Amino acid sequence: MIWLSVIILPLLAALLTSRYPSGRRNAGPIFVLASLPAVGLGLAEVPGITLDWFILGTQFSLDTPRRIILLLTGILWASSGLFSGTYLKDDIRRGSFNFYFGGAMAGNFGLLITEDAASFYTFFALMTFASYGLVIHSQTAAARKAAKTYLVMAIIGELFIISALFLAVQSAGSMLLSDLPPALANASNGPFIFLLGLIGFGVKVGAIPLYFWLPLAHPAAPVPASAVLSGAMIKAGLIGWMHLAPVGLVDWPSLSLMMISLGFTATLGAVIIGLLQVDPKTNLAYSSISQMGLMTAFLGIGLYGGIPGSLLLPAIALYAFNHGTAKALLFLGTALPGKVGGYWRILMWLGLGLAVLAIAGGPLTGGLWTKYLLKTFLSKTSLPGIDVFAYLLTLSAVTTTLLLSRFLHILRQVESPKESKTPSFILPWFFLLLAGGWWTMSPTLLPEGLMYQILGEKGMMAFFWNPITIWAALWPIILTAATLVVVFTLKSSFLNRWIKEKPLIPPGDFLYVILWIGNLFEKQIQKVIAFMHSFGESRHSAEKIIYKFIDNKKTIQISTQAESLLRRWEVVGISFFIFFVALFFLLR
Amino acid sequence: METNSLLLILILISSLIPGILILLLDEAQAFQRNFLNLFGAVAKVALVGWVFVGYMQGETYAFIYGLAPDLTFALKADKMGLLFAALSSVLWLVTTLYAIGYLKGGKHQRRFFAFFSLCVTSSTGIALSGNVVTFFVFYEFLTLSTYPLVVHRGDDKAVEAGRTYLWYTIGGGTVLFLGVVALFVLAGPIYFGQTEIIASLVSENTLQLTLIFFLMLSGLAVKAAIFPLHGWLPISMVAPAPVSALLHAVAVVKAGAFGIARLVYDVYGIPTSEELNLLTPLAIFAGFTIIYGSVKAFYQDDFKKLLAYSTVSQLSYIALGVAITGVLSATGAVVHLVHQGIMKITMFFAAGNVAETYGFYRISQLNGIGRKMPLTMGAFTIAAFGMIGLPPIAGFVSKWYLGLGAVEAGSYWVVLVLLASSALNAAYFLPIVYRAWFCEPDQKEVLPKYRGPFEAKALLLIPVVLTGLFSLAAGLFAGSNYSPLAIAREIAEKLYPNLP
Repeated sequence: MIWLSVIILPLLAALLTSRYPSGRRNAGPIFVLASLPAVGLGLAEVPGITLDWFILGTQFSLDTPRRIILLLTGILWASSGLFSGTYLKDDIRRGSFNFYFGGAMAGNFGLLITEDAASFYTFFALMTFASYGLVIHSQTAAARKAAKTYLVMAIIGELFIISALFLAVQSAGSMLLSDLPPALANASNGPFIFLLGLIGFGVKVGAIPLYFWLPLAHPAAPVPASAVLSGAMIKAGLIGWMHLAPVGLVDWPSLSLMMISLGFTATLGAVIIGLLQVDPKTNLAYSSISQMGLMTAFLGIGLYGGIPGSLLLPAIALYAFNHGTAKALLFLGTALPGKVGGYWRILMWLGLGLAVLAIAGGPLTGGLWTKYLLKTFLSKTSLPGIDVFAYLLTLSAVTTTLLLSRFLHILRQVESPKESKTPSFILPWFFLLLAGGWWTMSPTLLPEGLMYQILGEKGMMAFFWNPITIWAALWPIILTAATLVVVFTLKSSFLNRWIKEKPLIPPGDFLYVILWIGNLFEKQIQKVIAFMHSFGESRHSAEKIIYKFIDNKKTIQISTQAESLLRRWEVVGISFFIFFVALFFLLR
Repeated sequence: METNSLLLILILISSLIPGILILLLDEAQAFQRNFLNLFGAVAKVALVGWVFVGYMQGETYAFIYGLAPDLTFALKADKMGLLFAALSSVLWLVTTLYAIGYLKGGKHQRRFFAFFSLCVTSSTGIALSGNVVTFFVFYEFLTLSTYPLVVHRGDDKAVEAGRTYLWYTIGGGTVLFLGVVALFVLAGPIYFGQTEIIASLVSENTLQLTLIFFLMLSGLAVKAAIFPLHGWLPISMVAPAPVSALLHAVAVVKAGAFGIARLVYDVYGIPTSEELNLLTPLAIFAGFTIIYGSVKAFYQDDFKKLLAYSTVSQLSYIALGVAITGVLSATGAVVHLVHQGIMKITMFFAAGNVAETYGFYRISQLNGIGRKMPLTMGAFTIAAFGMIGLPPIAGFVSKWYLGLGAVEAGSYWVVLVLLASSALNAAYFLPIVYRAWFCEPDQKEVLPKYRGPFEAKALLLIPVVLTGLFSLAAGLFAGSNYSPLAIAREIAEKLYPNLP
C-alpha cells in the first residue's frame, strides 16, 4: 500500500489544492502530508511489490542509490510544498500552480520507486510535462520563452529516452531496469544504446551541450518550483543514466573519457558564465549545471576499469543528496532577503552561508564528506590522465566558492524590508536547513562497504577532525575568500559596475549560438519549409489523375445522375430493407 | 437454428431493425427514434459482451448459409473480430448519445439515424464475417450506408465531399471486388483462418497470388487511407461531428485497417506473405503515410481537418504493425485498432463540442478555451498526449509494442518513423493544448451558445468524458487481464504459435 500511496497522495493533493478553496488555503500542509510516504520509504527498507495490471506490469522497489535520492526528493518536495503554501498565498494562479506541482511531485517520486522500464518512462514523462506548467506559471514573455525552450528540449529528450529503452529492453529481453546494464554490457551495440540514453537523460541533467534550456527554465518558475527543479528533478536524469550505465561491467574508454571531459567542462565552464549573471536564480542554475557536471564525470569514471557499481553509485547519490538539499536551500533563500527583517536576518545569512559552504565542500559539511568519498574512486581507476582530473576537482572547489560568493553578493544588494515582519515561509526554510546535507553522514544512508572504504578502521570523528582533511577542505575556500576580500576592498565598485543591470552573457548562452546559426541559414531553412509547404498543399499526382477524371464533363453528368438517384435515401433504404428481409427469410 | 448462431444474427439485427424502423417513423417522433436507437445500441453492447464472454469460455459461434454452391454467407466469431465488434458497439452507443445531443432540433434526423444504424450494422458485420465474400458484402454496404451521412448537411460542400467519397470508395470497392473474385476462382471459398489453402498454392501461382494480394490491398487501402489513396478522408470531414467521430474511429477507416489485418493474418497468413515478400511494400507505404499525414496535419488551421490528417497518419500505424513480422508488432497493430479509435473519437467529440458551444472551428480561435471547457479540453489533452505516445495513455502502449516489434524484427527505420511521428504529433497537438490552457482568451469575448449547468450540453459532454477516460484507462491498466492489450497479445501469440 505504501508504494502506491507514494504516487497517489501527490496526485490527490494536486486535485485538492487546485480545485477546492479550502485545499488551496492549506496547500502547504497537504503537500507535506503527500510527501510523507516517500520520505518514509527513503528512511526504512520495505520489500518491493509487483502490480501486473498497472500500465505494462509495474514493479516497485528501491536500491541504495535510489533510496538516497528518494529521501532527498521527499524532503525537498515537502519543504518546497510547505514554502509554496505561504509564498504563493496571494497568487491568482495558485490553483494551477498546485495542480502542476502535485503532478510533477507524483512523477518525480514514481520514477524513483519503479523498477520496470515502462512505468519509469511513464513517471518520467509525467514529471517532465507537469513541470512545464511550473515553468510557464508567471505567463510573462520571458517565462513563455523559457517554457517553449524547455518543452522542445524535453520532447527531444523523451524521443532519445524512448529509443534507448526500446533497444535496451529488446536486447535484455526484460522490462526490468536492473536487467538493462548487464544487457548493455553484453550487447554489441551497448555503447550506442547508452549514448542514446546519455543524450536523452542528459537534457534533464543539463549536460553539455544540452543544458541551455536550464538557466532559462529553472529561474523562470516560482521560487519553490525552482527549488525542486534544481534540487530534485534534475537528479531524475542522473537516475536515468544509472539505470542504463553498466558501471563496473565494461571498459568503454571513449565514452568514459567523453563523460569525464564533458562533465568537467560543465563544472568549470558553467561557473564562468554564471559569474556574469545578475539574477540570483540564474546564477544558481549555472551552479547546478556545474555540480551536475561533477556527477557526470564520476559516473563516467565508472564505465572503465571495473569500479563496482554498488560502491560508486551510492557515493554519487550521496553527493547528489548534499547538492540537492543545499541547492534547494539557496533557491528558496532567494525569496528571503527582501522579506526578512530583524534578527531573523542574521539567521538567514548564517543559513545561506552554510549552504554555500556545503556545496563548496567546506569543513564539517556533507559537501566535504561526499566529495572526499568520490575522490577515493579517482585512485582506484586505471583510466589514463586521471591525475589531471584530481587537480580539476580541487579547482572546482575554488570556482564553486567564487560562483556562490557572487550569488551572496547579488542577494546582498536586495534591500531589506522597512518593517521587520518576518514571513512564515522562513520556517520550512529552516526545516530544510536542519534536514540538510549533514544527513549524508548518517548511517541510515550509508551502505556498509562504502563506509569502510573511506574510513577504514578509523571512524567518522577521526576523519573529520583530521587536520589534513580540514586543511584540504579549507584552503580553496580561504583562497577564494581572500581574493574576494582583496577585490572588494581595493575596488569595491568593480563588481557592481561590471554587471548590474544586464548579464554579460545572456542566460541560455548556447541557445543564442544555435539561434545565430539558425539565422545564418534562415533563407535555406525557409526554402525547405516552403518546399515542404508546397508539397503539403499541392495535390499529388494520383489525386490529380482522379480529379482529371472526375472533372470530365461526361463523368460529372453520369455521377450527378447516379448521385441524385443514390441521394434519394428511400431508394437506398428500401433496397437495404429488401435485401435484409430476403436474407432473413432465406436463412431461416 | 442454434442459440450460438442466433446470437451472431442478433448482434447484426440489433442495429438493423432499429435502422429500418426509424425509416418508418415520422421526423417529429424524436422520443421513439431515440428510444429505438439507444435500445439497439445497448442491446448490441450486451450481446457482443455475451458472445465475448462465451467465446473466452470456449464456446464457438458460427453461422453459415449457402447462397449458391461454394458461395456462402458466413459469420464466425474469433478474437480479433470480437475485439473489433466490441469497439464498434461500445463506440456506437457513445456516439449515439452524442449524436442525439448534437442534432437535436436539426433537420433530416430520421435519415441520419437510420443510416447511422445501418452503418454500424455493416461494421459489426465486417467484424463477424467468417469468409472473404461475406466480408466484401458488408464492406460495400458500409460504403453505401455512410454516404448519406457524409452529405447530411446537403450544401454544395457536403455534396462535393460526398462525390469524392463515393469515387474513392466505390473505386476501391471495385478493385477489391476484382481481387475477391480472382481469389475465389483461384482458391475457392476461403474462410478466415484457413491460411493453408493459399500456402498450398504458392509454389505454382506466385505471380497470381501476388497480384491478387495487391488488388485486395489497394481496395482496402482506400478505406484505411493509405497514401496515395487517402484523399477522401480530409474532404469528408465536412460531415457532422458525430459522423466524423464514428468514421474516423471505427466505421470506415477501421474497416480498411481491419481488412488489411484479416488479409495478411487470416487469408494469406504470415509465412506466405513473407515468402511472397508482400509485406515490405506495405510497410514502406504505411511508414510514408505516417510521416505524410503528420506533415500535412501540421499545416492545418481548421480543427477538424487537422484531426483528419492526424487520422491518416495514425491509421497507418496499424498497417505498419501488420507489415512487420513478430508477435510484438502484431500486438501493437491489433491493439492500435482499439486505441486509435477511442483516442480519435475523443478528439472529434471535443472539436464538435467546441464548435457547438462557442462556434469555434479554427485552432487560432482556441485561446483560453481550456478554462471555459475544462472537461472537454481535459479529455482532448489526454487523447492528444496519447497520440504523441506519452504514457500512461493508450497510444503509448501501441507505440511501445510497435517500437519493440520493429527492433525485434531489425527494422530500425521503423523506429525512426515512429519517433519522427511522435515529434510531429507533438508539434501539431501541443500548440492546441498550449492555446487551450496557457493563453488568455482573445479580447473579444464570445458568449457560449449554450447556457446551463455544465460547460456544454450534457449529452455532448458525457461521451467525450467517457471516451477520454477510456483512453486513459486502456493505458493505465494495460497490464490487466481484461485490457485491449491483453486480448491483442493473445491474438498475436496465436498468430505466431512457434514462439516459446
